[in-house]
Amino acid sequence: MSATTVRAYSGRRSTMAALRLSFLQFMADPQWLIPSMIAPVIFGLVSFELFRGEGHYYLTYAILGAGMMSMWGQTLYGSGWATGQDRVFGTLEPTLQAPTPYLYVVLGRVIWNVASGLLGGLIVYLVVVGVAGSPPAVPNPVAFVLLFIFVMLTLAAVGVVFAAFYVYTRYAGFIQNIGEFAFYVGTGCMFPVVLLPFWTNPIALFFPPTWALDALRYASIPGYPGFAWGFWPDIAGAVGTTAAYLLLAGAVFRRVERHVLEVGNLADY
Amino acid sequence: MLTRSNDGPAIEVRDVRRVFESRKGFLFRERTRTEALKGVDLTVERGSIFGLLGPNGAGKTTLTKILSTLLLPTSGTALVLGHDVTKETDWLRPRMGLVLGGERGLYNRISGRDNLRYFADLYGVPLTEREGRIREVLERVGLTDAADRRTEEYSRGMKQKLHIARGILHRPEILFLDEPTIGLDPKSARETRKLIRSLVTDGVTIFLTTHYMFEAEELCPKLAILSKGRIVARDTVDGLRTLVGGDRTIEAEAYGFEDAEVESLKHLPGVSKVVAEEFGPSMRLTLRVRTTETAIAEVRSALPGHPELAVRDRRTSLEDVYLDLVEEEAR
Repeated sequence: MSATTVRAYSGRRSTMAALRLSFLQFMADPQWLIPSMIAPVIFGLVSFELFRGEGHYYLTYAILGAGMMSMWGQTLYGSGWATGQDRVFGTLEPTLQAPTPYLYVVLGRVIWNVASGLLGGLIVYLVVVGVAGSPPAVPNPVAFVLLFIFVMLTLAAVGVVFAAFYVYTRYAGFIQNIGEFAFYVGTGCMFPVVLLPFWTNPIALFFPPTWALDALRYASIPGYPGFAWGFWPDIAGAVGTTAAYLLLAGAVFRRVERHVLEVGNLADY
Repeated sequence: MLTRSNDGPAIEVRDVRRVFESRKGFLFRERTRTEALKGVDLTVERGSIFGLLGPNGAGKTTLTKILSTLLLPTSGTALVLGHDVTKETDWLRPRMGLVLGGERGLYNRISGRDNLRYFADLYGVPLTEREGRIREVLERVGLTDAADRRTEEYSRGMKQKLHIARGILHRPEILFLDEPTIGLDPKSARETRKLIRSLVTDGVTIFLTTHYMFEAEELCPKLAILSKGRIVARDTVDGLRTLVGGDRTIEAEAYGFEDAEVESLKHLPGVSKVVAEEFGPSMRLTLRVRTTETAIAEVRSALPGHPELAVRDRRTSLEDVYLDLVEEEAR
């Protein structure tokens, strides 16, 4: 076999290596306790107070609102931030110099962040249920959990695209900090999109979490007015936009990796 | 003509240029353009250690990054192991190692062993061999006892060793070492040089940049001097000595010399160059001498009337060669 046909890396193994690295770094750094364990407790308590008395399904609203708040940073922001840290610690150069495309490393981190975000969601659930003294009235708990994970995956897809910006420029954190709250509110993370000004709705359609969150609310809150055109259109919209984001991420990463070799800014931080 | 084959030179560089553009300011953007490499030509044979010397900002790291596929040249062609560094990165990256060194470039919160495990996976080191290879490279760089400590607890020298371990973990055919002994104590530096020599015995080609002249002299059969983005000389150490005017150097020191005395030294047989420098109240004349025709006695006779005159004869060092060439380029 010609040497040129041998692929030196395994994408799956590289993804697992990045996942393991994320876990080791999490375990080694006590500061991660704040976003992953302490923040969800605070979000749960605040959200419970915010929605208390707002109808029969206020507990579900409280769990969804606080759950999204805690997962948001962990899942979406975390993936990009880890790449930013690669710049700061000078590990971006040796990682990009390795044969594995960087996208696999990002995917490993995203999987970790999804797992870590789910832990935040579980903590929120336990806190809200503990404070309320009873579980929320969810018509279909299995669908609720599955859709919760689905929302995480749509957030992760956006996170992968954000990670590409961190490879592209050292100013990605600045850009993300500016856009983060608009995106957070616009996609209906805290409040349903139907409550937002109408002109924001078309923009929200371009973001996968908007659809997935709407589907989650449809499934867990009977009579939910809905942002789009029903549960199944929401699922279709979420799957479609997520696929589009992943395809975009693949293309963007290839372009970005070439671009950084052209401008030579990998060591900048 | 470049050799695009697996048996040709390890490195072939033709007319490689690299321009960096940067912008400053917010409202009124100011563009600056820096030409880091201005047409570099270079050939490095397989299985050897090639040294690249040059002052800070000469373009050494830029060239190293281009050759190791971390940076694209603005123009020109660079082949490593017969493959184009801009187009054949998938083929090249598993076969090359890069050690940039320094305090950065490692995951500090995890152990040295876990750092190596991570990169072993990214480089596709066979899973069945991974732990054995990690043990082997840790042993080779002398980090076995510290392998399970967090790298944030490592000294600078230990981090440097871990960088080297990572660079050789996947058994590259060519290894780029950028200042590999910087920050190491003399004993560790000596061990690192020994390691570098042993890698060449294993068939690895080494491309080394260094500021330490004795290191280059000790390790590199061939070297090049890069100054202001250009290769100003490329040869063996002896060849470079000849290039700057001789393999012997005679230094004469006294409290001032007349111009006529300096001129008379230039006419002694074998003297190619005389440089006068002032050191406080003293003055030193440095003579580059081609042959053994001129001896200390003849220099003494050419400089009468200096009872305090001190004359030394020594072999021209690589540092002398380097300073001559770099200063000449600066002029």
